[in-house]
Amino acid sequence: MFEKLSRSAGLRARRHYVQAMFRFMGHALEAISQVDRKVMDDARLLPNGLIFQMMVLPSGPSLVLEHTGEGRLRYLGPNYDGEVDLSIRFKHMAHAFLVLSFQEKTTEAFANDRMVVDGDISLAVRMTRVLDRMESIILPRLIASRAVKEYPDDLGLLQKVPGAIGVYRRVAFSMLRDLRKEALPI
Amino acid sequence: MSRYYEFFCPVKVIAGHAALEHLPYELTAIESTRPMIVTDQGVRAAGLLDPVISACQESEVTIAAIYDEVPPDSSTTIVRDIANLYRQQQCDALIAIGGGSSIDTAKAVNILVSEGGDDIAAYSGAGVLTRPLRPFFVIPTTAGTGSEVTSVAVIADRERSVKLPFTSSFLLPNAAIIDPRMTLTLPPHITAATAMDALTHATEAYTCLSKNPLSDAYATAAVKKIGQSLMKVMDNPGDEQGRLDLAEASTMAGIAFSNSMVGLVHALGHATGALTHLPHGLCMSLYLPYVLEYNLEEIREPLSELLLFLEGPEVWTATPASRRAEATISAIRHLRDELHHHCELPRTLRETGKVQEGQLDQIARQALDDGSIIYNPREASLKDIQEILKKAWG
Repeated sequence: MFEKLSRSAGLRARRHYVQAMFRFMGHALEAISQVDRKVMDDARLLPNGLIFQMMVLPSGPSLVLEHTGEGRLRYLGPNYDGEVDLSIRFKHMAHAFLVLSFQEKTTEAFANDRMVVDGDISLAVRMTRVLDRMESIILPRLIASRAVKEYPDDLGLLQKVPGAIGVYRRVAFSMLRDLRKEALPI
Repeated sequence: MSRYYEFFCPVKVIAGHAALEHLPYELTAIESTRPMIVTDQGVRAAGLLDPVISACQESEVTIAAIYDEVPPDSSTTIVRDIANLYRQQQCDALIAIGGGSSIDTAKAVNILVSEGGDDIAAYSGAGVLTRPLRPFFVIPTTAGTGSEVTSVAVIADRERSVKLPFTSSFLLPNAAIIDPRMTLTLPPHITAATAMDALTHATEAYTCLSKNPLSDAYATAAVKKIGQSLMKVMDNPGDEQGRLDLAEASTMAGIAFSNSMVGLVHALGHATGALTHLPHGLCMSLYLPYVLEYNLEEIREPLSELLLFLEGPEVWTATPASRRAEATISAIRHLRDELHHHCELPRTLRETGKVQEGQLDQIARQALDDGSIIYNPREASLKDIQEILKKAWG
């Protein structure tokens, strides 16, 4: 009985963690697309108005972003339910947790068939690169090396620290704004 | 954490001497009485349809329709035309005879005749198909693409100027029939380029991120057969056993890479093919050694192991363990040079005469967004790819 309860609590905690990470990543991707030249260069070639989704099958948490043009991404929140143009879907919550807890790199997850892509694969490759760049900048090198295929050689502290501070500042502001919105009665 | 992988290949392989004569039995076993052949003019002109038709006639199986005008780069219009012919003639099975284009076309036709409609674009993408399609058989006439065992097809949509990919395990044929008679008349330069295509499939399957124990077994067996038979066949094109070895190697490499994917060589090859129309096998031959050099430190161990299969146990034992990976690359370069000597298969992009140096930057940018790049062991940047292209230019 106790084992069953603790297992169920563990699964709930895992789901909340994935939800929270998706929300954090959504804000972080929006923020980094405003400050990092490489991310902007990569995202600029996405079609304007493209809606990108990363989600857990069958109807788990998701992260949805829109390319608003000029390489800028906009986080559309955790409850977006409109049409999407490009979707990377984890087959199971356990697979999303492996990636979001840095036990498995995003590229490894692709190689291990943990995810399915629906949409233009070349755009998915581009978005994966954006995701990797974001993780390389905002995470300490030791953790980032577990998350990305190859930590960029040319990313020095002088570039990384101001970039990370800028992103965390914007993410904190956006998350506070979200919390305020959620707390206010409609 | 232990390794995770998936492996899937439900295709029955019918291979060897008089394999074609098994086709009528396979057709009657599924109660097909009106099969349709999808092929191209080259196959027909080479007389490769004759043994198939004769094998069927002898067993009282009538071929209900033949479409023999599949071009090298098939399109949605052709798929629609063939599907209409299939319906008009009330066919009940498809037999693709040819190389990658005929096989991919037949896979797409099978979607339309099974699911209905005229718009093949509606079925583009991954996971769109949800049920088995009509009976489908493949008889490859080249030894390189491995399409007979892959669950992918690519068809050009000329109106929208895009290539439509189709991915589903339901695209796989019921059986692949590998008969050495079908590749005996293959011209030397096509034999060489397609064998290098198969060698690249096997090498990338064995060295890229999605490698697994089962695909490894197929990849190494394919490399061994190519290492042993390619130059024999180049010296003696009528070597039936050598031809069969290459055809089997192609199928095994196809099974390997469809389960463990390919990497940067293919990303470069897809981009080069799209921009310059250089044959896919030739692109593989051009890029393989340079990409292996680029990936070297990430793939030293598996690449060292491949030396045993490519060059045999004597060379492997005579080579110091620390030099085996480099020796594998040298062996591939040597193979490429030998093929140039035999049939003038180009060794550099410059030698092809079909690529302009000014196109290299565009090739690099397109390769950077190719789906195969995800599975490459190293994270290739635009600059890295430009450097590889500079070396391959010559």
